[in-house]
Amino acid sequence: MIPLELYILLASTMFTIGLYGLVTQKNGVKLMMCIELLLNSANINLVAFSAYQPNVNGQVFALFSIALAAAEAGVGFAILIALYRLYGTIDLDNINAMRW
Amino acid sequence: MISNIVSLLIAIPLLGAVVSFFAGTKAKFVALIASIIPLALSLQMYMEFDKTSKVMQFVESYNWVPSLGVKYTVGVDGIGFPLVLLSTIVSVLVIIYSWGETKKPNQYFALLLLNEVGVLGVFTSLDFFLFYIFWEIVLIPMFFLIGSWGGPRKDYAAIKFFIYTHVASLVMLLAIFGLYFTYQMPDGSRTFDMLTLLAATADKTIFPTSLLNIIFAGLLLGFLVKMPAFPFHTWLPDAHVEAPTAGSVVLAALLLKMGGYGLFRVIMPMLPHVDKAFVTIIAIIAVISIVYGAFMALAQKDIKKLVAYSSVSHMGFVTLGAVAFTWMSVTGAMFQQFSHGIITCVLFMSAGTIQHVVGTRVIADLGGLADRMPKFAVIMMAGFMASLGLPGMSGFVAEFMVLTGSFATLPAYTMIVVFLSIVTTAAYHLWAMQKAMFGPILKKYMNVHEPHAYELFSMAMIIVLTLIFGLQPGLMTDIMGTAATQVMEPVMTLTQMGVI
Amino acid sequence: MYADYAYLIVALPVLAFLLCLFVGWHLPRGGGFLTVLATFAGLILSLGIFSEIYPDKIIHQSMPWFANFNVGILIDPLALVMLLMVTFVVTLIHTYANGYMNGDPGSARYFAEAALFTASMLGLIYADNLIQLFIFWELVGLCSYLLIGFWYRKPSAAAAAKKAFLTTRVGDVFFLAAIILLYNNLAGLNLALKPGEYLLQFPVIYAHITQIAPDQLTLIALGLLGGAVGKSGQFPLHVWLPDAMEGPTTVSAMIHAATMVTAGVYLVARMFPLFYAAPYGLTAVAAVGAFTALFAATMGLTSFDIKRVLAFSTVSQLGFMMAGLGVGAAVGTVAVGVSIFHLIGHSFFKALLFLGAGSVIHAVNTNDMREMGGVGKYMKWTMYTMLIGSLSLAGFPLFTGFFSKDEIIVIAYEYGTLINFLPYIFLVLAAVLTAIYTFRMWFSVFTGKERSDYGKHESPMVMIGPLVILAIFAFGFGYVAQNGFYSYLDSNFEHYDVDFVELGIIGGHVLEGEHGAAAEGEQGAAAEQAATAEGEAGAEEGPGEPWYIQILPIIIAIGGILTAALFYWDKVKKFDPSQVTGDKDPIRKMLLKGYYQHEIMTGWFAETVVYGTALICNMIDIKLVDGWLNWLSAWVMGFAQHVRKVQTGVVQNYVTALVLGVVVLVVVITLAIEVGLV
Repeated sequence: MIPLELYILLASTMFTIGLYGLVTQKNGVKLMMCIELLLNSANINLVAFSAYQPNVNGQVFALFSIALAAAEAGVGFAILIALYRLYGTIDLDNINAMRW
Repeated sequence: MISNIVSLLIAIPLLGAVVSFFAGTKAKFVALIASIIPLALSLQMYMEFDKTSKVMQFVESYNWVPSLGVKYTVGVDGIGFPLVLLSTIVSVLVIIYSWGETKKPNQYFALLLLNEVGVLGVFTSLDFFLFYIFWEIVLIPMFFLIGSWGGPRKDYAAIKFFIYTHVASLVMLLAIFGLYFTYQMPDGSRTFDMLTLLAATADKTIFPTSLLNIIFAGLLLGFLVKMPAFPFHTWLPDAHVEAPTAGSVVLAALLLKMGGYGLFRVIMPMLPHVDKAFVTIIAIIAVISIVYGAFMALAQKDIKKLVAYSSVSHMGFVTLGAVAFTWMSVTGAMFQQFSHGIITCVLFMSAGTIQHVVGTRVIADLGGLADRMPKFAVIMMAGFMASLGLPGMSGFVAEFMVLTGSFATLPAYTMIVVFLSIVTTAAYHLWAMQKAMFGPILKKYMNVHEPHAYELFSMAMIIVLTLIFGLQPGLMTDIMGTAATQVMEPVMTLTQMGVI
Repeated sequence: MYADYAYLIVALPVLAFLLCLFVGWHLPRGGGFLTVLATFAGLILSLGIFSEIYPDKIIHQSMPWFANFNVGILIDPLALVMLLMVTFVVTLIHTYANGYMNGDPGSARYFAEAALFTASMLGLIYADNLIQLFIFWELVGLCSYLLIGFWYRKPSAAAAAKKAFLTTRVGDVFFLAAIILLYNNLAGLNLALKPGEYLLQFPVIYAHITQIAPDQLTLIALGLLGGAVGKSGQFPLHVWLPDAMEGPTTVSAMIHAATMVTAGVYLVARMFPLFYAAPYGLTAVAAVGAFTALFAATMGLTSFDIKRVLAFSTVSQLGFMMAGLGVGAAVGTVAVGVSIFHLIGHSFFKALLFLGAGSVIHAVNTNDMREMGGVGKYMKWTMYTMLIGSLSLAGFPLFTGFFSKDEIIVIAYEYGTLINFLPYIFLVLAAVLTAIYTFRMWFSVFTGKERSDYGKHESPMVMIGPLVILAIFAFGFGYVAQNGFYSYLDSNFEHYDVDFVELGIIGGHVLEGEHGAAAEGEQGAAAEQAATAEGEAGAEEGPGEPWYIQILPIIIAIGGILTAALFYWDKVKKFDPSQVTGDKDPIRKMLLKGYYQHEIMTGWFAETVVYGTALICNMIDIKLVDGWLNWLSAWVMGFAQHVRKVQTGVVQNYVTALVLGVVVLVVVITLAIEVGLV
């Protein structure tokens, strides 16, 4: 059996990569991918813990989370497409209408 | 005998507001009906009102949020009832005066009615929670009236009005919470009931003077800003100048009275139990307001601003009368509330009429208008005379009672200052009259004509009212006198309070 | 029976007012006949009441009003003679106005306002309490304002109206303060009032004067005097009265000569017991009156406007009346009779003079006497009636003015022998000037050559009729009525619970007869009473004066008229006024400018001091009171300007901040747990 630590290591690595991407990347699609990484790292944790502590609750949660992630991705990409139509780019540095 | 008459009084304009919002161009008819019914109801109440009774009348009380001790309690006594009558009268006349409003009339009349709801609620509610809700409701229609129908600087004025009075209201709310959280009913529950809480402030074991002082100061600030008294008055001229005429009228005639009402309902019962320095402070504020307002009015170039500052001056008499704490002065101050309420209507209506007939309100640009609009000139003259305290009209009776009553308790030199302001008051009224209405008619005004009949009608009605209450003040002072006795019953004079 | 309808004396003119106001436009001559009828009905009622209550009854009706106040009617001798005079003179003036205002487009407004004035004036006279008197006092002031500004299109008329209202308002504030002070003093006594009695009713006031502290009495008296000074155009508040001549001449005759301006004198007479009891009260009245009498007379000498001459004359004559009351400190209640007698006589001949002047102006179309001259050739009626008025004003023997003014000078002499001769000297000098300026006016209007081209016609009969009737009274009233009048008015205060001996002790007065006795020191009550009885008797009989004092007024009148003739009557002209004083003469200039009163009161006080204060207040309001508020909001806005920079609009920054925030929180919480805080 693979020790729990490795799952946690994987999850935190993924989380860190996602976070790093979120902070440094400017392309909208890349940001969406980073957010997916964050979510999935959480899912890994949920599934791993539920497997090690015999309890299905975590897996159910993970399923919910995946469904939510799908919905979120749908809305997110829709927004990105709308932004692209409006600005001709998805480089978020150029999209600063919410700036003070 | 109509049961639940007070609730009806509040509900009908509220219903009217909703209906007239959806009534499109028919809104004015809806509004007129929805304001005449409360007038009829309040006249009915006047008939049934027991002028000698010191207890609340027409009381209705229902549990609202029992867990918090919030009740829906309404009722009137001699303090509130004259103002209820004033509100219903003024609302009808304002709606008649605004008959020609063409810009979004449905919203306009709905807001006017909503205003009436709020004001009536304030004057009738006997539960601090309810009171505060109505107190805040009033801000909303007035904000929109100024903001949507106002003059060139309407945004500045509307926001200033809202924030200034709202901040004061919040301070007042904190003070109310101070009362609420300090006092426990015998069964351990809490209550927002006004009369219970105010009666409890007399108990030094529950409300030590130090705590009561803070609560008192908070409440006082809320009311003085609303009055408004020096130095919290500067929102008033801006709001008045930018507001549409009907807004100005309602603002001066009704909203300011909320502050005065608070003085009688809340401040005066607490006054004997707080630090004696408060009496001096309030008296100084009152005297400065009277004199300063009069001088400010003299310096104004805009006729509406002049009238606005005259309100500051006249409302100073209310504060003065209340704090002088004699039967005569308190009765006079209550009467001044009523009297100023009706007189100021005709002043603001005159200013508004000049604005839309002539196109300007700057006094220096006017001249000789009496030549073209004699009927209007007569009415405006009568209004100005009433405002400067001509005997035979209600303003004189009120000011005379306040001065006579205050003379007994306040130091003579303060009275001298107040007396001087009487001359100044006459000066700015007459000066404005002379510049605007008399002299040769200016060429550019050769084509002006009398204002609409509905405007003249509502102004003339007010003149008639000032005459009625000036010649027969007993119609109101009988009620108010009983209320004054009731307010002052615990401690009858300042001397007994140890102030002087 | 008439007494039951006494309220109609006021109610009928009010009715006329309403009718003229609302339907006068459709009536011939603006409904002027309504006003005349209403006033005439008042005259009939007053005569009826006179027949009922003369010589020893009074009428007192009262009903509650509001709070501690009442409305009521009090007709005692003082009020009754005033009622008779006002209704009589005003009826004539309204009649005259029907001719004078004919054709004026505002005549309905004129008669409405005139009717309101009549009602207010009559209400003022028979008010039974001070507050009611004050109300009507203000209403006559309002009517005066409206009528001075009757030709409101004329800027000078509008300005004069405002000035009149404001100047009298200054006096009214003093009056109001006095009422309030009196009320509070009486209320402080905790009197046990009988039902129907109210604190400010005159009988109640009279009865309790002795219980009020003397210094309070003085304050009250000075306040009342302030009101009287404003209304009766006494120095220093006389400035409005000459300007008030901007109104129609009938208004000048009615309000500013015969009736309203006498209200101040009436007030002092009405409150005479209080003045008498107040230390320095009557002294102040005498000082103000005597000074004004002379002061105004000097200005009357130089004015070229016929109406202004008469206005200054009115101020001067009102000064005589005031002084007449003031010297009551020495002679007691007889002063009221003497003063009111002059008031009544004055109202006859001054109304006559004003109406005559109006008749002249009607024809000549100017007020300037330099453009008149020789008018007498075309206006015989006006000339001779005005001659009678002028003789009466100048105090020519056997005319009304002679009896009344003479009597004031005589009691002023008595005052002089007892207390101080200054009022007497001032009054004598004023009397000389009166004769001179009156005949300066008469000669330069009616005699000599025509100095301009003017309309040469006599006025219509509706205007001449009143002139003739007034002329008869201006001539005969004094001789006929004198003795009965004095004794009737002297009885006025006998109807009330008022003891002049006691009041005199409070006020520090000594009546004539007891002077010697009181001077010796403190006396027993019995001795004082005896002395007073003697004093009253002495005061009534009067003549204790040497013959030259008795004859002096006659010399004054005739001498003054002769002097005027030498300067201004072309037939006997010896001197040219311009040779005596050149145009550059500073005294002449000062007199013409009215002692620079206008410059001081309007230019300096009103426009600089008062308006300046207002502007300073305005600056404070903008810079300070509103300033700190705007400063606060500007500060909040400025702060927000900095803080909003956090919102960069860059998503990465938000994420970074979020992560950092989480990290900080985790660290803080961990540390807290480590330290053991949680």
